[in-house]
Amino acid sequence: MDEIKQNNDSQNGQPHELTADEKLAACEKQRDEYLAGWQRAKADFINYKRDEARRFEDMIRFANEDLLEELVGVLDSFDLGLAALEKAGPVEKGVYMVRSKLDNVLKQRGLERLPVKAGDKFNPSFSEAIVEAESDQPAGTILEVIEAGYKLHDKVLRPARVKVSKEK
Amino acid sequence: MAKILGIDLGTTNSAMAVAETGEPRILENTEGVRTTPSVVAISKANERLAGLLAKRQAITNPKNTISSVKRLIGRKFTDAEVQRDKAWMPYEIQASASGGVEVKMGDKFYSPEEISSFILAKLKADAEAKLGEKIDEAVITVPAYFDDSQRQATKNAGEIAGLKVRRIINEPTAAALAYGLNKQKNEKIVVYDFGGGTFDISVLEVGDDTVEVRSTGGDTHLGGDDFDKRINEYLVAEYKKQEGIDISKDPLALQRLKEGVERAKHELSTVTETEVNLPYITSDASGPKHFLLKLTRAKLESLVQDYIDQSVKLTGQTVKEAGFALSDINEIILVGGQTRMPAIQEAVKKLFGKEPHKGINPDEVVALGAAVQAGILQGDVKDILLLDVTPLTLSIETMGSVATPMIPKNTTVPTSKSQTFSTAADNQTSVEIHVLQGERPMAVDNRTLARFVLDGIPPSPRGLPQVEVTFDIDANGILNVSAKDKATGKSQSVKIEASTSLSKEEIEKLKNEASAYAAEDMKKKDLADAKNQAETLIYTAEKAVKDAGDKLPAEMKAGITDKIETLKKAIQENLGTEALKSGIAELSAEIQKIGQSVYNKEDADQSGEHDKGDNKGESS
Repeated sequence: MDEIKQNNDSQNGQPHELTADEKLAACEKQRDEYLAGWQRAKADFINYKRDEARRFEDMIRFANEDLLEELVGVLDSFDLGLAALEKAGPVEKGVYMVRSKLDNVLKQRGLERLPVKAGDKFNPSFSEAIVEAESDQPAGTILEVIEAGYKLHDKVLRPARVKVSKEK
Repeated sequence: MAKILGIDLGTTNSAMAVAETGEPRILENTEGVRTTPSVVAISKANERLAGLLAKRQAITNPKNTISSVKRLIGRKFTDAEVQRDKAWMPYEIQASASGGVEVKMGDKFYSPEEISSFILAKLKADAEAKLGEKIDEAVITVPAYFDDSQRQATKNAGEIAGLKVRRIINEPTAAALAYGLNKQKNEKIVVYDFGGGTFDISVLEVGDDTVEVRSTGGDTHLGGDDFDKRINEYLVAEYKKQEGIDISKDPLALQRLKEGVERAKHELSTVTETEVNLPYITSDASGPKHFLLKLTRAKLESLVQDYIDQSVKLTGQTVKEAGFALSDINEIILVGGQTRMPAIQEAVKKLFGKEPHKGINPDEVVALGAAVQAGILQGDVKDILLLDVTPLTLSIETMGSVATPMIPKNTTVPTSKSQTFSTAADNQTSVEIHVLQGERPMAVDNRTLARFVLDGIPPSPRGLPQVEVTFDIDANGILNVSAKDKATGKSQSVKIEASTSLSKEEIEKLKNEASAYAAEDMKKKDLADAKNQAETLIYTAEKAVKDAGDKLPAEMKAGITDKIETLKKAIQENLGTEALKSGIAELSAEIQKIGQSVYNKEDADQSGEHDKGDNKGESS
């Protein structure tokens, strides 16, 4: 049976009262734990702020992404119109100038056409196959770029939409 | 600290998130997109692809492109679901040696777990690239109706991908976690999940740290894709009527229509009418043809009304199966992109008679919830580190009986905020610190927590003394307010015990009152601000006149004094905000002349002439 200390608060009926040394050790352990926790929280916060700053930068770079994607859609229609006009005969130079101007504005914002063309091997990193067709070309060759693809800075904004040859 | 990845492994699309400093956030994949298609393929070049890349080559390679494998995972080949899906899946499905399912990709057969593991492996790799650290553990979500076999198979998929699956949690539970509803006591929650390919209803009961699934229901073949299909068919038919051309035969035209329809669908969530505008969609003997059709929200809703009604019916049934009445349900959560549609939100609100939770992106909420669970597991969160927020704004009363916020509502505690204030009148030697709690802009409409006085401030012109007031809330919610005069160092403080003792209902009531009275309060605050501005300006004007002394021409002094009297009258007779504002503008204009007059002392004659001439221009 443990010694029952003559103490006012032994009314709690604790079976074993810690010695001063044990109390101190427990206290120091807890202190170390708390300090470490505090330091970690502080470090997490600092790291978070740094990551947040980087995310902010990214956000600024890609802030126009949605707008640019929609503009690219409009550019597609413009190109279709241009193609239709060309079929009917030579097209006025001014129209090409407008196209070129639009191209420039987009380029300034980091938007670039993907260099995908007919004859290339189909690569899903840059292209999306939307239709297949039989052809003399080896299977997996791009037969036609139906819709141009674009990248924004280093990210593929929209893959080129292509027609791919299939095995006969 | 190693992060655990929260993964929503969906039928059509997957998403992933991590918890950082307690907050979950979605991680983009390496293509820079926040969701990843649940598609795996062996390309014609014999390369194994997963995600977006796999989806992009699907058309050239349907037999070797595996999608919706979640419909097969953990099932027996003879299951009705499997047989049904086998009929329309473009890839080969057969029974495995143990009676399970196998799918053919390339020249090999794979188990659904292996296929899913390829998706998980891609997510793992992308997460590691984004975070710059290794990820070895994950929390993965599954539908609430998944049985043991399906859950185990999902866990295996994770293991194959090199992830230790710390927990498999139900998708509706994850959604509840994302909204923090797991902290409620004894609440009944319905999760309405309308995704791309499936509709799932779950009824949950939350209490005492547990979330129980009471019933599940839905339709595994009803989703946003069906909505798209309906709209497409309608538009194709309309166009045929108008132009006599069937564009469904032209794959490119159909593709463009699909995109146009998706865009229109999104737009109709915020506007009531839009156009599907596709120039040069096709051509015939007469030349190029264009597609231009108006689509109203009403028409869109009518096209899919039966789907919506069906979802409402299934919801009602599922709630009944849980043994609850619709009125018993405390909270409703919307999950899945299709729930952005106003008609669906309305239908759900009407069914339950309350507003559903939709603040979190419905495509991301499940992944975020998985990350919340991951955060709890990775953080070894001690009770002592679970931090609270202060539910109501704490302010002090400032000139004009305005409540100036010191600690805004929902600030995490413990925290400390300080602001420096000054005196309102000359020779004011004491300031009264009136501590308020509440959301209203005027002091009198908030609850008084305490009042105390700091005196002994040396007599000075108004606005000169610097009294720093500090609000400090400790982890136990005890608020300490202190005021210190920076000049004398004298300070006074008060300790307020139960600043967060209001019940949840009382807090909600106060917040609602604040928004109900917002317009009125705004007017009161504007008036108080205008009064303050007027009083400050009068003080400044009178001081300026006094300081200018003899240098000020008599006329100018009379003009200014006159404007001062007008403004004072506006204050005393409560002539209103507009009168005050115009009085302020006029007095401001007048006293600027003092500056001109004092600086152009030598040109006093010329400026006198300018005044007489009544033009405001400079001499050319």
